[in-house]
Amino acid sequence: MNALQFGSFYALIALGYTLVYGVLRLINFAHGDIFMVGAYIAYFVAVLLLGGEGMSGLGLSPGLTLAITVPATMILTSLVGVALERTMYRPLRRKGADRLYVVITALMAGLMLENGNLALLGASRKSFPELLQKVIWTFGSVSVTNLKVIVIVAALLVFVLLEFIVTKTKIGMAMRGISYDKFAIPLMGIPLDTIIVFTFILGSSMAGLAGILFAMSYPILEPYMGALIGWKAFIAAVVGGIGDIRGAIVGGFLLGFIEIGVVAVFPSTLRDLFAFSVLLGILWLKPTGLFGVAKTTKI
Amino acid sequence: MNTLLEVKNLKVRYGNIEALHGISFDVKEGEIVTLIGANGAGKSTTLLSICRLPPPEAPRVIEGDILFKGQSILNLPPHKIVSDLNMALVPEGRRIFGNLTVEENLKLATYARTDGHEAIERDFERVFTLFARLAERKKQRSESLSGGEQQMLAVGRALMSKCSFIMLDEPSMGLAPLLMYDMFRTLKVLNAEGMTILLIEQNANLALRFAHRGYVLDTGEIVAQGTSEELLADPEVKKAYLGG
Ligand SMILES: Nc1ncnc2c1ncn2[C@@H]1O[C@H](COP(=O)(O)OP(=O)(O)OP(=O)(O)O)[C@@H](O)[C@H]1O
Ligand SMILES: [Mg+2]
Repeated sequence: MNALQFGSFYALIALGYTLVYGVLRLINFAHGDIFMVGAYIAYFVAVLLLGGEGMSGLGLSPGLTLAITVPATMILTSLVGVALERTMYRPLRRKGADRLYVVITALMAGLMLENGNLALLGASRKSFPELLQKVIWTFGSVSVTNLKVIVIVAALLVFVLLEFIVTKTKIGMAMRGISYDKFAIPLMGIPLDTIIVFTFILGSSMAGLAGILFAMSYPILEPYMGALIGWKAFIAAVVGGIGDIRGAIVGGFLLGFIEIGVVAVFPSTLRDLFAFSVLLGILWLKPTGLFGVAKTTKI
Repeated sequence: MNTLLEVKNLKVRYGNIEALHGISFDVKEGEIVTLIGANGAGKSTTLLSICRLPPPEAPRVIEGDILFKGQSILNLPPHKIVSDLNMALVPEGRRIFGNLTVEENLKLATYARTDGHEAIERDFERVFTLFARLAERKKQRSESLSGGEQQMLAVGRALMSKCSFIMLDEPSMGLAPLLMYDMFRTLKVLNAEGMTILLIEQNANLALRFAHRGYVLDTGEIVAQGTSEELLADPEVKKAYLGG
């Protein structure tokens, strides 16, 4: 169950990498830090509504707080993603900048989010309030908490929703169209920037969702929490086949399983070493990732 | 006849290189007008300037104006030129979305339409009647279509966007003669139904037989213009573009 839960976090974050890459061929290295910002946004919204941590708050009940915090976090986090796109990526795109510069910009944007957080809030860790009464269900020898079930179900629902949007709706078709030929999109009467902004909204709101669920599961927040998990999710997306939504989900869960599997057998200090070795092995066998096809796009 | 499109003294640049040195022409409602000229004359540049696609690919307008029904469209974003003015461009090289199916390509072109499901369904029927080969290949990834079929898809896509003015950049490129005549016959039918057409062609002979009027472009300047009959009879044009 832990494997599935961790896999869900990786998967939710990997989806954001994959969406943006799938549409723009841009590796949004700031995405892990958007996840971190999502967790902090969740923290502030929750504390504001609930009270505590030296703030009086509105004194709402934990249940109501949770019900408001989830959508509020997703909306606010997606605004952060959109802000990055508008202030950093779009101007570069307009000038026809080489992809390398856009990727470096993304990397710097991520560092700015981390260090901005550090400057603003200091190095002290925040502890996330408890919003959900813990319930433990036992099936035979396995026991799960309600939170774990929620995390896993959320990841699967998000997957189904995104898969539907991308394959069935016109906006999804436009997203796929952009990845093939950006130039021809306006010729179809489609506002290019609107579709790109929509993509960032989708990706960042998923990171926001991952942020709040993560904060509820591991209630200690610090500015660098997005870095390692972001890297891992990115690698999961690549191993799954970056640009492919199924790939992000499968890659995420796969990484979760490998990590937990390794820890069950070896000392936990070997976890990342083993996990990444396995992933490297997969890429060695299939360089385009599990679901990836060799792309012939010409942008 | 009302003037639909009027290009006035248009100068455009790619970077610092001027590609059009102040050209003027117009297209009236219901007409077929052709723009002919050798490689690199600036034909595609002219169409791209009208559609004003986003940089870096698009040329930059330096001087002059482009009017649609008397209104300047120089400040209109490119997608609005398509969706609000019912213009369509079938660009050089077709530019279909190869990773989408035939049907998805056509559907995507209806993105900005607001005239309802039924009208869109009718247009699907019409495109599939005009281009029966597309109907047979609805679910096929469009990358795997033949060149001729891709050209049909590119035109079909323009029709799905509900255009009343269509600009075509070398639609005969890569088509076998038989398919080429088919394509031009289809365009004639569309014109008879009221579609205004601006056609770019390398094959000047074919283009002038098809169009009502024409302009001859040479290294960014218009060097001759007139009705098709006049141009076909013009000795200079004959010598340079019609093979004697
Ligand atoms: N993206 C670009 N950047 C710089 N110069 C360009 C660009 N596109 C076209 N040009 C130049 O502008 C001029 C006109 O090109 P254009 O593509 O309009 O010619 P054309 O008449 O369509 O030719 P063809 O019949 O070969 O398609 C050429 O000299 C070309 O080299
Ligand atoms: Mg051309």
